[in-house]
Amino acid sequence: MAKKSNDIDQKSDIIQAIVIADGFGSEFLPLSNDVPLALLQLVNKPLIEYTLEFLSFGGVEEVFLFCCSHVDTIKDYINNSRNQDAVWSQTVKVNIIISESCRSFGDCLRDLDAKGLLRGNFVLCEPGVISNVKLLPIIKKHIEISTKDKGTAMTLIYQEAGVGQYGRCPREEIVVASNSENRILFHKKINHGHDRKINFPLEIFLENNCVSIHHDLKDTHIAICSPSVLPLFSDNFDFQTRDDFIKGLLMNEEILGSTIYWHLIKGNQHGGAITNWRMYQALSQELANHWFYPITPDGRTFSGSFGRGVIIGSNCSISESSNISRSIIGNNVKIGKNVTLENAYIMSNVKIHNDCFISNSVIGPNSILRSGCKVTFGSVLGANVELNKEMFVKNTLVQSKKPEEYKDGDKLSEKAYKIKLVDDEEEDIDGNKLARQFSKLHLDEEYANSDDDLLESSDSEDDLSNVHSPVPDDTNMFFSEVIDSLTRGYEDKLQCDNLILEINSSRYAYNVTLKEVNYNVVKAILNLPFQHSSGQQYLPALLRTLVYFSPILKNYVRNESAAEDCLQAIEDVAASNNELCECIAKVLNWFYDKDHLSEEAILQWFRNLDSGSRVSARVMPFVKWLQEAEEASSSDESE
Amino acid sequence: MTFKPEFQAVILAAGKGSRMPELTASKPKCLLPVGSKPLIWYPLLKLQQSGFRDVILVVFENQKAEIQNAIEKNDLEIKIEYFTVPSNEDLGTADTLRLLVEKLKSDVIVMSCDLITDINLDNLLDLFRKHNASLCTLFFNPQLHEPVVVPGPKSKHKPERDLIGIDAQTNRLVFLASASDFETDVSLPKALLRKHTHIKIFSNLIDSHLYVMKNWIIKYLTYDKNISTLKGELLPFIIKKQLAKPQKITVTNTSIIKVQDSNDIFQFAREADLDVLVREASTCTDHYGDLKPAYHGDPIRCFSYVADLKTFGIRINTLSAYWYINGKIIDKWSSITNDKELVQIDSKAEIKSNQVDGGCIIWESCKLNEKTSFKNSIIGANSVVNSFSRVFNSVVMNGVIIKEKVALENCIVCDGVTIESGSQLKGCLIGSNHTVPEQSQHSNEVLTESDRLMEF
Repeated sequence: MAKKSNDIDQKSDIIQAIVIADGFGSEFLPLSNDVPLALLQLVNKPLIEYTLEFLSFGGVEEVFLFCCSHVDTIKDYINNSRNQDAVWSQTVKVNIIISESCRSFGDCLRDLDAKGLLRGNFVLCEPGVISNVKLLPIIKKHIEISTKDKGTAMTLIYQEAGVGQYGRCPREEIVVASNSENRILFHKKINHGHDRKINFPLEIFLENNCVSIHHDLKDTHIAICSPSVLPLFSDNFDFQTRDDFIKGLLMNEEILGSTIYWHLIKGNQHGGAITNWRMYQALSQELANHWFYPITPDGRTFSGSFGRGVIIGSNCSISESSNISRSIIGNNVKIGKNVTLENAYIMSNVKIHNDCFISNSVIGPNSILRSGCKVTFGSVLGANVELNKEMFVKNTLVQSKKPEEYKDGDKLSEKAYKIKLVDDEEEDIDGNKLARQFSKLHLDEEYANSDDDLLESSDSEDDLSNVHSPVPDDTNMFFSEVIDSLTRGYEDKLQCDNLILEINSSRYAYNVTLKEVNYNVVKAILNLPFQHSSGQQYLPALLRTLVYFSPILKNYVRNESAAEDCLQAIEDVAASNNELCECIAKVLNWFYDKDHLSEEAILQWFRNLDSGSRVSARVMPFVKWLQEAEEASSSDESE
Repeated sequence: MTFKPEFQAVILAAGKGSRMPELTASKPKCLLPVGSKPLIWYPLLKLQQSGFRDVILVVFENQKAEIQNAIEKNDLEIKIEYFTVPSNEDLGTADTLRLLVEKLKSDVIVMSCDLITDINLDNLLDLFRKHNASLCTLFFNPQLHEPVVVPGPKSKHKPERDLIGIDAQTNRLVFLASASDFETDVSLPKALLRKHTHIKIFSNLIDSHLYVMKNWIIKYLTYDKNISTLKGELLPFIIKKQLAKPQKITVTNTSIIKVQDSNDIFQFAREADLDVLVREASTCTDHYGDLKPAYHGDPIRCFSYVADLKTFGIRINTLSAYWYINGKIIDKWSSITNDKELVQIDSKAEIKSNQVDGGCIIWESCKLNEKTSFKNSIIGANSVVNSFSRVFNSVVMNGVIIKEKVALENCIVCDGVTIESGSQLKGCLIGSNHTVPEQSQHSNEVLTESDRLMEF
């Protein structure tokens, strides 16, 4: 390997690489409180192991590993690993650079520039890189380009990936325009904001006969850099990330005199970086399926008695009656009877007691889940979390330490506290909410598809086109969530209080207004009898449901405007369902009897009702009765 | 029952030639001499050689006789049906097609009269057939111009540039606009990029103005009367519509009568049910990268055929293009005409000169007197060149009289010009029926009766 690289790069003796160990973000909270990104277990092996193996395999001989936090842990780990003759330790020299003052990717590179350790072209890996790309040919190409174009600063390495592909992070959708020499002319990360158009500067088309616009790429987060990159970071102190660098260079092309190229990896080469939980999930699956061969994970793959894609670490004890599919289980994990795991990522030393249910979630090391717990819907449990019996965690981040500020509702147990990310609020404003959602764990297929459609339909409403089909928007998704929660709650006879919590968390997840919540909850309850008791009479089934969910109704239909929403829901469901329409008077009577709806609200609503409609005709007797009762009572009073 | 052809061809020759007013002031653009033939002969021959038996030729009413007369002199087998449009009205290309709706029963090839190319049209037609396309366009790579000095005053002509977006995987034409439509930014819908994830945007391709289109597009034109040109309005509109989804016929309880919006282009673009079923049942797809059905299920599909670099193709719509083609025509003759014999010197010409080099083309009934000299020039019909004159690198049209001791170099001389003796003209453009007085000396000028030339 060493010999080969000498031929290629004569100026510098060996190929050097920079690996940044920290992610500088809140993506991996709460787990990143205890474990640095570099040591995050990925299919039972710390992430850094894969990165170093890849660099060794790619022909790199000297690595500068830049650490800003958990420094000692990483240092110990690397030394340990070296002493144990890890695969990479034969060919790669790892230098650990420590600077706890660095707050961003850009800071790290400026620090490295000041230290003057790098000599020639080098490989730059953003945090969390895993790949099996053969680097030498790409470095060679980079050198070729830079002899022609003296300003060449960087060659970005991209891989082809279709829209919606599993390993393509929806948060890092990029549009790249390049000329026929693969020089990047335009580079933009598109978040799922509301803008439906992308603006390209006209001159890139006029100056180049043919411009390729790519939206079929995913970033491997690996780049080949010329020596000029580090000074460029130093000169422009506002460059915080590699994206800033690219943007800055393209904007000030004339001033900085630097150009960026890109390279498409082909064949069986594959790359990616763990930038958020979603990518963690995607890359775990890819590793488990050996997409990164010869970079492979530890642990044994099971299929047989378990479902597909199950990987189990060493020293685990798993009860036979558990049901596991598409999950990765770390070392020394104990799993009790009747446990269901779907798409779960269980770190080392976790104890899961009987009857637990875990889906689409990550359980941090040393956690304990007592019997009957349910952890679902993209939840992440940090290290050392303990959940008491029969606790539900849905779409939440949980950590073991007590946060500095917390509300009562956030405490789940002595060693489990819900946490919120600080920047959640801001993100609601610019529509990044969806993007935030995308960075969480990838849920089942159905969910993913509806995301896709959502984007498509909101995008494709061109000014000319007529889209009349209903759009599955947040509200609709919220509605189906509520239906799911209620169906499950009714079948499993869950506490209504818990269901209210669940509905509220869905409400925040989909960002729907209170009005919509009221409306959809009532609508969902009215629709429920169709779902699980077909063949039965609608009315008795409905009444049973209503009685069961009475606390929920009480919780949501608490004032006049809520009553309005409730009536609107009844009206809408009745308009589309004969069964309800037939018995609407009885249903209204029930609502009235149980004090969910006041007389005035019903009469007010009735006045606004289209008097010719079927619903109106059905309601008429009830309203008449109400009015008569009112007259009677008022006459009573007058007497 | 009459046999319905697969394609019907239409050549649009009712253009004013407004980009070269000096030449077209008194002569239909389609009759400008190119080599030994009028311009219109080339597209007609192309169609004939591609197997077309008949063609509809759209001409101005007042030019019909002249054009018909000129074409009949050239023995073409293709049957020409003349369709006249009034010359006083300013009809766009789409307006013209709209008038033809009664005649057009099949899918249509629309061509301009100014296209000279050596391409095999089968490539384009096959692309159309293969994808059951709505519309196919033909683009050329720019011809490698060696800079030519065009007669007349020096002018900086800025070529009009189109931005043409083609899906790199499927050759779908997904974007078409004129570069001058934009000021600083070109904006593309995000949905377009999600659908066509690799688009190549060309800014140097030349639109041949040859379009193959489904018959429904013509029908749609009769519906939407606002569209007046093909290139400027119809094409961008249809290309844009590829991204739209057809209105779904939704059944709702609320409204019983569904009012069909007849405005919708998709009503016209409906594919045969069987075609749709066959495609849905087939595993064939045109692209990879997502799990969408073939063509993303679009009923409207535009494709483009970009001719390779070796292909020759040019539109004679500017003075420089006209000058360029006349310099090249002998070289390109055999590939353009598919090895037809080039008659360089017409048998009815009377040539007494012994200095006519191989680069010359002499039309019928010319009279070239003794002691004249010709190099790389075209001498039109019924022109007379008297002794002691020389004509180098020039185009001399019909009925021109060149007196004694005249020297012409790099000139275009229009119909009916008389150049009196002793004149020396270099790089000049002489408008029709102009008389150049004795002993004049001009270079790089336009000589014309000024009142006849349209002012711009």
